[in-house]
Amino acid sequence: MDSLFAACCYVPCFALRCEETRHPEYPPTVSTALLDPHDPRRVWQVSCAARRAGIRPGITVSQAIGLSPTIQLYQPDPVYYEARFTELLDHLSTISPVIEPAELGRVYVGTDGLERIYGGVEEVIERIQLPKPQSAIRVGWGRGKFVSWVAAARAGPGQSVLVRPGEEVRFLASQPVAVLPLDADVHTRLRQLGLHSLRDLTALPEDALAAQFGVAGRRLWQLAAGKLSEPVKGRETPEPITVSLTFYSPVADRQLLLQSLDALIDRALRHPRRAGWRVQRVRVRAELEYRSSWMIDALLKEPAADRRRILAPLKIRLERSPPLKAVERLMLEFTSFVPGTDELQLFARDAGAAARAGRRRALRNASREIALRLNQPMLYHVISVQPWSRIPERRYGLTEKEQ
Amino acid sequence: MRNGGKEFRALNVPEKIQVELDNGRPGKVVKSRSARVVESVLECWRIDDEWWRKPITRIYYEVVLETGGRVVLFQDLTTNEWWMQS
Repeated sequence: MDSLFAACCYVPCFALRCEETRHPEYPPTVSTALLDPHDPRRVWQVSCAARRAGIRPGITVSQAIGLSPTIQLYQPDPVYYEARFTELLDHLSTISPVIEPAELGRVYVGTDGLERIYGGVEEVIERIQLPKPQSAIRVGWGRGKFVSWVAAARAGPGQSVLVRPGEEVRFLASQPVAVLPLDADVHTRLRQLGLHSLRDLTALPEDALAAQFGVAGRRLWQLAAGKLSEPVKGRETPEPITVSLTFYSPVADRQLLLQSLDALIDRALRHPRRAGWRVQRVRVRAELEYRSSWMIDALLKEPAADRRRILAPLKIRLERSPPLKAVERLMLEFTSFVPGTDELQLFARDAGAAARAGRRRALRNASREIALRLNQPMLYHVISVQPWSRIPERRYGLTEKEQ
Repeated sequence: MRNGGKEFRALNVPEKIQVELDNGRPGKVVKSRSARVVESVLECWRIDDEWWRKPITRIYYEVVLETGGRVVLFQDLTTNEWWMQS
């Protein structure tokens, strides 16, 4: 599922914004910074107040404290940020079936056909900006991902910039070269060559840029000139996989529960729908004696397709908050997935089943997209009524396809 | 028709047409104000059914039109109306 027109939803410093929402006790005037998850001696993302105090991402914590002794430092919590980002994606999925996350805090929403449902592009954007905790969302809309991303980067918090068809070249020409997806070295080289805006870049022949920077240079020139519009590619994810185990007699022994969980994970991983996907979120539910229940939920820091790595966080949670009564029935559910590595795709246990599952998924998504775009069911099942009948119109019928 | 909240419709419902006969067989088919000459009749058969309630009596013709298209027509012998069916 592709969409040529895109709305780019952008929340700069998404992780820091999450911490600020979690800690409303600190007003915007207080300098805050988030520590680097890979190097806790350095700061990663900094607030406006901290930036005003001279604190820049990448400097050491001691330097930051030296510049602003009252600075509030947050320990990174990637699982929490991922969960908030997943919430944002879930919200966007209710608006459009074509969603493409680019990075934490940046996601593209395909808008082809949505104007007919919501009444116009402005209404679509209004819906995107609806959730209050994410009111800092900047939205850019235009033809292709690049134009929408540049527009989002130009928008203020909670605001939007729309680039109508035909306005792309004029809009892009005035933008700095910093909006191009380049590494720092190439940026430096462009500056050294005296190229500051996209207009400067497109004033050069396309072949000159290709000669200087290779294939990437040609792509950059085409992006800057508005000649390359990359569509939003919808993500395809499998439906949740659920497996369960009913005990002959209620089980309270923790070791036996762990072994049962291990067996359930193994069974769920073998499910053909899982082939080629890594598990990101897993949920365990249990029906307990005397009609009570128990549930634990784990968001894996690193999505996995390995039994032991999925079991490890569940084991910790089981030990911390075990069921209060004996378990009668245990259910395990993989609720969220991310695409597997190439190796996983290559060595999928059942490539045929994966392909079938993929086709079914594609059909379901296409059906949902058609219903969403046309606001009415347009897909039907052919069902046999009286296939033996001599009267042709009595033999088969059409019934609405469920989403 | 609604079936458990879902819409149900019959497939291959016949469409009413006008037919001009030529020696007792379809010679010209008129549909939506456009007429097509019948080049040849490939097959002809008759259906008599449901005589125990509302009898259905049809005579079917599978014909080739001047455009090269192959269509199935039938005459409802109880009303003498002509219909086209896939």
